[in-house]
Amino acid sequence: MRLNRRNNVFLVSLILLLAAVKVSGQEKYPDRPITIVAPFPPGGVADLTARPVAAALEKVLKNPVVVVNKTGAAGAVGMSFVANSKPDGYNLLMALSSISIIPEADKLFDRKPAYTMDQLIPIALISADPTIFVVNASRPWKSVKEFVDDAKKRPGEISYSSSGVYGTLHMAMEMLIQGAGIQLKHVPYSGGGPALTALLGGHVDTLASGPAVVIPHIKAGKLRPLASWGAKRVASLPDVATFKELGYDIEFYIWAGLFAPRGTSPAVMKTIREAVKQAVNSVEFKTAMEKIETPIAYLDAPEFQKFWDKDAKMLADAIKRIGKIEIPEAK
Amino acid sequence: MADTLHNLYIGFSVALAPQVLLYAFVGCVVGTLVGVLPGIGPLAGISLLLPASFGLDATSAIVLLAGIYYGAMYGGSTTSILMRIPGEAASVMTCIDGYEMTRRGRAGPALAIAAIGSYIAGTVSVVGLMLLAPPLASFALRFGPPEYFALLLLGLLVLAYMSGGSMLKSLAMAALGLLLGMIGIDPMTGFFRFSYGLVELGDGIGVVPVAVGLFGLSEILLTAGQPTAPEVKKPKLKDLLPSRQEWRDSLWPIGRGTVLGFLIGIIPGSAHIISSFVSYAVERRLAKDPERFGHGAIEGVAGPESANNSATSGAFVPMLALGIPSGPIPAVMIAAMMVHGISPGPLLITQQPELFWGFIASMYVGNVVLLILNLPLVGIFVNVLRVPYPLLYPAILLFCVLGVYAVNGSAVDIGIMAAMGALGYLLRKFDFETAPVVLGLILAPMIEMSLRQSLAMSSGNYAIFVNRPIASVMLLIGLALLLLSLMPFLMKSIDWRHRLGINTANEGEKL
Repeated sequence: MRLNRRNNVFLVSLILLLAAVKVSGQEKYPDRPITIVAPFPPGGVADLTARPVAAALEKVLKNPVVVVNKTGAAGAVGMSFVANSKPDGYNLLMALSSISIIPEADKLFDRKPAYTMDQLIPIALISADPTIFVVNASRPWKSVKEFVDDAKKRPGEISYSSSGVYGTLHMAMEMLIQGAGIQLKHVPYSGGGPALTALLGGHVDTLASGPAVVIPHIKAGKLRPLASWGAKRVASLPDVATFKELGYDIEFYIWAGLFAPRGTSPAVMKTIREAVKQAVNSVEFKTAMEKIETPIAYLDAPEFQKFWDKDAKMLADAIKRIGKIEIPEAK
Repeated sequence: MADTLHNLYIGFSVALAPQVLLYAFVGCVVGTLVGVLPGIGPLAGISLLLPASFGLDATSAIVLLAGIYYGAMYGGSTTSILMRIPGEAASVMTCIDGYEMTRRGRAGPALAIAAIGSYIAGTVSVVGLMLLAPPLASFALRFGPPEYFALLLLGLLVLAYMSGGSMLKSLAMAALGLLLGMIGIDPMTGFFRFSYGLVELGDGIGVVPVAVGLFGLSEILLTAGQPTAPEVKKPKLKDLLPSRQEWRDSLWPIGRGTVLGFLIGIIPGSAHIISSFVSYAVERRLAKDPERFGHGAIEGVAGPESANNSATSGAFVPMLALGIPSGPIPAVMIAAMMVHGISPGPLLITQQPELFWGFIASMYVGNVVLLILNLPLVGIFVNVLRVPYPLLYPAILLFCVLGVYAVNGSAVDIGIMAAMGALGYLLRKFDFETAPVVLGLILAPMIEMSLRQSLAMSSGNYAIFVNRPIASVMLLIGLALLLLSLMPFLMKSIDWRHRLGINTANEGEKL
């Protein structure tokens, strides 16, 4: 057959047709690299948790799993990206508890939400850091009782930093404020790192923080932990009581979980869930999480859904209580 | 002293081990590439290689990532000087005088001085890091929101010295930059400001798309818009080395840039980007003939380039001495350390001497490697200019788009870059300076945040700025600088009266 123009066109069309048929045919999931979107900058909790998960999943699925950071708007950019993407199982989300906060905050401000929680379905809960209440070591309070008493004596004077307005650390402190009936001064920073730096420098008095970043400073004597927001005591801080033990009915975790867009087929979901279950139980994953001092708290999808709903309701209540932050008049 | 030398000995024995040396080299090469490519900056480079570093041992991993960071500061000057396209935000100031030098055929000396200044600054600042890390870090911790506000206000006042030409035009551009910096989520209340429904604008307009667009794209558009094609320069070998005069002129700027950059870098926060801006302004102020700036003054290359290199060492001070993430890049490195089971904190230096001293030693080695890499490359890079413009500039445009997209994976950034490119073209046609826009854009959100944090801390009482010693000292310096810059106007009016007085006296005599 001569390679003239007409034959060329025919051959090319044939090849394209075959390719199209191949693509639209039934393929086994997964056959392309899977992306886990971490909606926070590298080095943060979402990122640090996502990477061991990706590495372990890769081994289980024998398929590349890549972590991509899509940052912005306290996580909203990455979260809405996955929520609005095609539910084919190739775009997953590693989100923190702030996933429940952002849509509520959007409602508060009467703006079109970047995404709604219905757009995402849970795959599994990976970790749940109990938040720790730390104070600068130079401050006098040695127990929660001393702190609360002092706060009641001078309302609005003791300060705390946070990773941002309506962020996870802010929410945790709000629960303490509500539960203990005290008033504190909030100084927001942009991120957990700056918030911790401010506490270390003595520019604020207290902070609610995930354990991993504060434990070295506690050991060095620069920070003092007073209590934790978990249901059980933190393993590496056995002398630190939980708020529940001290009589406050508050619990807060900075948890990290895997999500997929709603509409992902049940078959694909089953594959992912099984793979995650295996990945979380692997030795490498356990060692990796130990190194970053993050306890594994694995929950499969149905239990995770219940956990998520309960957590989301708690956070929604807290946000409604906080309401819109009014800008105080300068004296 | 003996202690330090002994520790250095340990450090070098770690750093010169073949594996660590290899990773330092890889880091430096990747860093240089990342710096040369417009848009993509050290943070993106480090994030890309972070997973690869998990499989290495701790020292190699840190050395690799750090190499990318300071390597990018070497590479960033290349495109800035050759094509007026900033390799990353910190290289914006080098574009101004560096490119002018290229136009005068002095591209080689500019690149050489940039490399050498970066080397001196890098090495000297590592000495500072090594000897002074703990006390400097404690000092840096005392920088709270009021001090930060005062420092940033100083940075804004420095604008007055940054550009020649009409002061009014520079201030207008700075105002534009400040306004652009207001876009984003209000840090204290959570409102989305000026985002027009685009979630991606929640963090504001990124510095990288603006810098690349305003400087790089506008340059491409301007060159394309010239009626005749500019002739391609063919540099000769002897033109590649700086002249004795240029050497002499660069020494003090390099020294000043080193100190300035290091001090600004220690302060936690992203202030190290402004180190090159401040250095440029200082050099301009201290020069005997400041009109040369903007037309190819070597000091305008030597100072900023040294400053941004020593700022990277400065950024490591709080990270290593206290374990606090003093910016996004140290935060990633802390994460890398944590993944290897090393908890950064105040005890790091004493508990992990091999890591700390190995790191210090590898920075010495890395700077030497980069100098050796970059100097001969000067000849190669300069020859890039021989490529005819119709081929060169579309390729550069492609790299700009790729680089800017690679930072966030966001198409909105490309749109911003394009819009800024068009704006930059118009601004330069009308003879406006574009550097103040970038500075305003960087400073606005930080100034606003620290002002409101300070007021939150003091419950609305403005006296907080006066009550804290560091903040009040810096505000006084700022006031002094402001008055100094107004002096020419005051002098002119006095001068006018004097002249009139003399004339009147003369006329009186004549009469």
